[in-house]
Parts: sequence; C-alpha cells; structure tokens
Amino acid sequence: MAQAAPQTGALEPPSTATPFQFPGYYSFPPFFTAQPNLVTRAAQHQKWSLLIQAYCRHNRIFVLSLIDALNSPLFHNAALNRRLSLNDAREVLNWMASEPGGNRAEWIGGTGKAKTGAEKVWVYWRRPEEWASVLEGWVDGTGQKGSVLTLWELVEGEATASQEFHGMDMDLLQKSLQVLVKRGKAQIFGQEDSLGVKFF
Amino acid sequence: MGQASSKKITAQDDAILSMKIQRDKLQQYQKKIKHVTARETEVAKECLRRGDKKKALVALRRKKYQESLLAKTDAQLEQLEILVNDVEFARVQKDVMYGLQQGTSVLKQIHREMGGVEGVEKLLADNEEARLYQKEVNDLLAGRMSNQDEDEVEDELEALEREMNPIKDEPISHPELPDAPAQEPERRESQKERWERRAREQREQREPQEPLLA
Repeated sequence: MAQAAPQTGALEPPSTATPFQFPGYYSFPPFFTAQPNLVTRAAQHQKWSLLIQAYCRHNRIFVLSLIDALNSPLFHNAALNRRLSLNDAREVLNWMASEPGGNRAEWIGGTGKAKTGAEKVWVYWRRPEEWASVLEGWVDGTGQKGSVLTLWELVEGEATASQEFHGMDMDLLQKSLQVLVKRGKAQIFGQEDSLGVKFF
Repeated sequence: MGQASSKKITAQDDAILSMKIQRDKLQQYQKKIKHVTARETEVAKECLRRGDKKKALVALRRKKYQESLLAKTDAQLEQLEILVNDVEFARVQKDVMYGLQQGTSVLKQIHREMGGVEGVEKLLADNEEARLYQKEVNDLLAGRMSNQDEDEVEDELEALEREMNPIKDEPISHPELPDAPAQEPERRESQKERWERRAREQREQREPQEPLLA
C-alpha cells in the first residue's frame, strides 16, 4: 500500500497543480462506515488520519472546517456515493487529536474534553514543533539569523514562495514560532497586527 | 539557557521591523490594485458586450488610474527596500568594526605584556649572555678531562657494547665456519690516532654553535 505512506514525500513541497491521488482504500465502501470491531476500527482511524494528512498537505490546508470538509472529496466519495457522517468524521479527528493519534489535529474552540461545538480543526500534517524546525532550517539555510522578518513576509513574501510554509495560517505560524521562542531561538515583537520575528 | 542578554530586541530591530511592515503593506496594496484592475477590465468587457461604450470607457479610465498608482507604489517599494538593505548592511559593517576593534585591542595588550621592542631586545641579549656562559663552562669541563681519562671512558663504552651484543662473538661454536672476511678487519686505533680523533670531534662539536652566536 504505497499510497498509504504520505509521510515519505515530506521533503518536496506539496503542489496543488496536480489533483490529489486518493489511496486505494478510498474506493472501498466500508471505509466510510465506522467499523464495529475495535481492531478494525483502530486501523480505520489510522488510515483516515493518513488520508486527511496527505489531503491537507497536498492542498495546503492548515485549518479544516468540518462542515465544509464533509462535502469536499475528502469525506465525500462522489464516485461511490459514500460519505463519512459528521459524527464519524468528528470521531476520526478526535482520535487524531489524541495521544495514540499522534496529536495530528487540534480542535479550535469547543467546550469540554470532547470539544463539542468546535467546527474548525488544525490538521497537523506537520506539528508546530515540526514547523518550527522547518522554519529554523530555512532561516539557517538562507543566512537570516539575526535579521528581522515580518510574519507576513514569512508566509506571503516572494522569498518563501517555494517553501512548504508559504501560505501558512498566521495563527499556526505564531504557534510554531512560539516553539522557537521557548527554545530561545527567536523572539517575536511588534504591534498586534504587524508582528515581526528575529531569529538567533 | 540564560543568553537572554544577547538576544534582546533593540530599537534598531524595531525600526527595521516598521520599515519591513511598511514594505509588506505596500505589497498588499499592490495585490489589491492588481485585483481591481483585473476587475475593471472585466467590467469594460461586459459593458462593451452590452454596447455601453461610455461605461466601458469609464471603467478603462479607472483602470488606467489604478495602474498609475501601481507604478507609483513600485517606486516607493523600491526606495523602501533600498533603505532596508542599507540599514542591514550598515549593521553588518558595525559588527565588522566591532570585531576589528576587539582584535586590535587584544593585539595591543599582548604586545604590552611582551614589554615592547626594548623588552624583546633585552631578552635576546640576556639569552646570548647565558649561552656564552654555558659554553665557557663546557670548555672548562672538557679541558679538565685528561686524555687518559677519555681513553678509559671509551674502553668502557666498547666493553659495554660487546657485553650487550654477545652474539657476534659466538660463531665459533657454529659447525660451519663462516667465510673469511672479504675486507680487511677494522684495525684498532693506536692511542695517538685516538687522541687526534677526539680533538677533531671536540672541535666539530663546538664549531656548529659558532654561527648561532653571530
């Protein structure tokens, strides 16, 4: 199952030019129904997690809106006329957000442990600490240690157009930079809507 | 790791940031204008399709105006970028200057510790004096040793050497006799030759030092 390993392509920046190649199990009808057997269910969660990560990586989605996603090809296989129900999708994302799911997702908002009512979710095809390493590597590789960069130019500037973090969600960028700040590798400063960062 | 002191945001950083933010804003503004001009073109096309030439003309005029704004912002952007680059370069220069300053002061301090040129000259003179003195002592000691004493020393050395390499003397017990030596065996020096050799050696020993003293 070569397509079930999206992590291997981590080094190439994702392209939106080509349509996303769905894995083989996407055409398997039972995949869209929560499996009663616990072992099968765990495997199903794993596969969904990989699919969601690969899909978001390909389309550079950082925040998934649950309601919109239900009607997108991700959760809705039009060819099979099958879709994942809201509850099942929620369960998959809950699993991704959990420890066994590798903390590959995080709900935005919502109340309680089940995060009921949350409609948007971070999909961490790279976790903030992984993004931090990518950012640090880029700053290192381009010799920009000690210089001041605006957050906007990090994700929208021409210099980063070929980078994976180009077009990244601003909040996620800040989360990732906070990791570097904690490590003493960066400092964020400036006004609320015009933030800059200095790397060390 | 307690390096916070060297990692502070300075007023310069703030100034650079505000310049860069300004640059970002210009770039965002340009994006917006490009979007607007594209839309005006669409509007003009739409008006022409409906046969409303007047409205199409207005739309194109608006587009033209936006394009002139774009050109202006381009110039401003360029200026801003030059300024940012200049500031960053000046910072690098400052760092280089600081480095040079540090190096120079260290070099000066080391020189001071060495005591200047006079100190070095004095040290060299002292050094030569000491060596001359040592040579004198050597000569005195060598002169006191009589030739007979030296004979005894050398004999002892020979005896020791024989003792340490006894195998050479053993081939007598060997069943096959060795060939007769092809060369004439080394003759033992006569006493006179020995004295002459020693005098020569001592001279040679002393001579190589001479050029150093000069």
